[in-house]
Amino acid sequence: MLKYLKTTVCAVAGLALGATAALANPYEEFAGETLVVNFPAHPHFDAVMKVLPEFTKETGIRVEVDQLQYLKMRERQTLELTKNRGDYDLIAYVVFSKADYVYADQLENLARFFMNPKLADPNYEAEDLIDGYVANIGVAGGKKGYLPGPTGSLFGLPFGSETSILGYRKDIFDKHDLKVPETYEELLELVCLIPELEPGMGGLASRAASGHHASHAFLLHLAPLGGRIFDDEWKPIVNNAEGVQAAEALKKIVNCGAEGSKTFGFAEAGASFLQGNSAMFLDSTVFAGQVNNPDKSKVVGLVEWAPHPVGVRAGSQTGGFGIGIPKNAQNKDAAFLLMQWLTSKKADKLIAMAGGNPSRYSTHADADVNEKFPHMATFGEALKNADPDWRPIIPVWGKINADLGTTLSKIITEDAPVQESLDGVAERTQALMDDAGYYTWTQ
Amino acid sequence: MSVAIKANRLTPYMFLAPAGIILVFALLYPIGYMVYASFLDWSPSQRIGQAEFIGFRNYVNLWNDDAFRESFWVTIRFAAIVVTLEMILGVGLALLLDRKLKGMAVLRTVFILPMMIAPIVVGLMWRYMYHPTVGIFNRTLKSFGFEGIPWLSDSTWSFIAIVIADVWQWTPFIFILALAAMQSLPRSALEAAEIDGANEWQKIFMIKLPLMMPVLIVTLLLRLIDAFKVLEVILVLTNGGPGLSTEILALRIFRTAQEFQELGEAAAMSNLLLMLLMALTIGMFLYNRVQEARAARQRAAAEKDDT
Repeated sequence: MLKYLKTTVCAVAGLALGATAALANPYEEFAGETLVVNFPAHPHFDAVMKVLPEFTKETGIRVEVDQLQYLKMRERQTLELTKNRGDYDLIAYVVFSKADYVYADQLENLARFFMNPKLADPNYEAEDLIDGYVANIGVAGGKKGYLPGPTGSLFGLPFGSETSILGYRKDIFDKHDLKVPETYEELLELVCLIPELEPGMGGLASRAASGHHASHAFLLHLAPLGGRIFDDEWKPIVNNAEGVQAAEALKKIVNCGAEGSKTFGFAEAGASFLQGNSAMFLDSTVFAGQVNNPDKSKVVGLVEWAPHPVGVRAGSQTGGFGIGIPKNAQNKDAAFLLMQWLTSKKADKLIAMAGGNPSRYSTHADADVNEKFPHMATFGEALKNADPDWRPIIPVWGKINADLGTTLSKIITEDAPVQESLDGVAERTQALMDDAGYYTWTQ
Repeated sequence: MSVAIKANRLTPYMFLAPAGIILVFALLYPIGYMVYASFLDWSPSQRIGQAEFIGFRNYVNLWNDDAFRESFWVTIRFAAIVVTLEMILGVGLALLLDRKLKGMAVLRTVFILPMMIAPIVVGLMWRYMYHPTVGIFNRTLKSFGFEGIPWLSDSTWSFIAIVIADVWQWTPFIFILALAAMQSLPRSALEAAEIDGANEWQKIFMIKLPLMMPVLIVTLLLRLIDAFKVLEVILVLTNGGPGLSTEILALRIFRTAQEFQELGEAAAMSNLLLMLLMALTIGMFLYNRVQEARAARQRAAAEKDDT
């Protein structure tokens, strides 16, 4: 009898252990599956490629990556997402695409995955994800349709996100005993002082090329100076005093910039700083990885970083990429597991160590990460002011952005009157918004 | 009519049928698709069946769109200027080089090299040459003590810059066709002119150019069509800027589809461009037809006089 009991106990214990073991590996069910993901060719995702084998080792899930130039990526996704059965299980998307994909019902709402106890990791610590990034890249359906709010829900997670940061030449600042600008007033004074102190050197390398680049540079200044493109009623207010001030700031920065700065795009502005032709750089954090690369930079070891200067408020840009699961994906559960793993504390750190952009506060504060990349702590500080509403993420934004960008280019290169030009943008934007139905409830 | 005769009559059509079918699928279907798309409010996130039919609204919007009108005029101005310059330079070069010189074959090959380079490379190459500090133009100007020219950051200069790049790349096309036409001219007419004591200028303006005219007109037409559609070089050089000063229609269409995500409006613009090019082509062929008819009449009259 005792022997029988012993066997039963052993069997029950064995079963219980087996069940625990099965529970302990939530990936088991999906081991052997192959996920197809679409990532951009971008420094962050290059770092991700180095970390992905770790995921396969840990979970048994294989990952095939289709890495494309980011505009090409958008084109491919546009075709892929309209198919009945898509080839991609997980996609990276730029923040603009959030509006299009969610509006066209092409991205999975992530609630049902986070509700699933078999899939959602209780130790995920979502509150550690950078708020501004989650709001900007992940959430749709809340305030204004593209921001968080009581009606908003999560469609993606930030992955390869960026904010704006001020890079400056420590040697030049020390040489002339200059104070690192903390406010816009100080920044605008410095941009034109530097060319006087260091002949041939531009103050701040900024983008200004006609179109997207000029618009981006303007928006960088608009939010901290207190401006917005629209008020809460979707009326364009880009031509108010703050808008004019931002345009004038941009014009001043470009005029006191290095030679040729009127046509700088992101790459040219970056090159100007890396070549030592400009004393400051105010743009995306993604740029930081190149500064100490001797193949690309002549200013190795000479650059330090500071938060985006403050105007009437602190507000740095939010941009970059997020990841989401297409509605027509074939392996959604496994894709969610990959997504959760990639944005977990552990992978975020691994990716950061491999040169990617972390999406968590804890990674920015991590000792190992800071030892390898000393600027990370400053970036973490700057991220607290990341402004998810620094530009509107609505389907018609592409057209408004282009109009704003060409108008600003005329202001910069042809001395077009600032107020009048922005009035024109506001007027055309209003017509566009009317056409797109944004005033249906207010008229 | 016997079956054999009927079959005989049908034979040519049967031979033409495969080409006809390919034409319908490869040419008419996409054009029809584009024309239909121009009546839709269609974003790339939708399938064409989901897009809303909005009639002529895209065309009306274009009519009221200042940016479109501006890029339309930029295109007309660009095409007119580059094609005129290229015709003058290309035909001029052909006239100069239509002689037996040592190393002529090599020289001709060198002349047509620009045409063989991929447009993206041409764009990049010129962009570096126009660079304000390290570009060869401004470096040369500065070494002679002049001020550098804001090649790509001033609206007038950037228009000149894209014209120069296009003329550099496409003059050889005119040159090579003009040279071929010139070398196939009947020697008898030129010899007769020489005997009559015509000088070189008279030979060029009264014999060579009129005889080359049919070829030149086709060349002009081909270049004009191409100039209206040029995209890559300008995309790389200026991306349409500063402002809209170099945003030609092809670039506007590209941006409308790519950046603004408005496939319907882009299709409407493409249709307008297509119609414009069709009008030009028809006009040019009509002109050619009239000229040929006139020449035929003159010939007939001359033959009548002879008899």
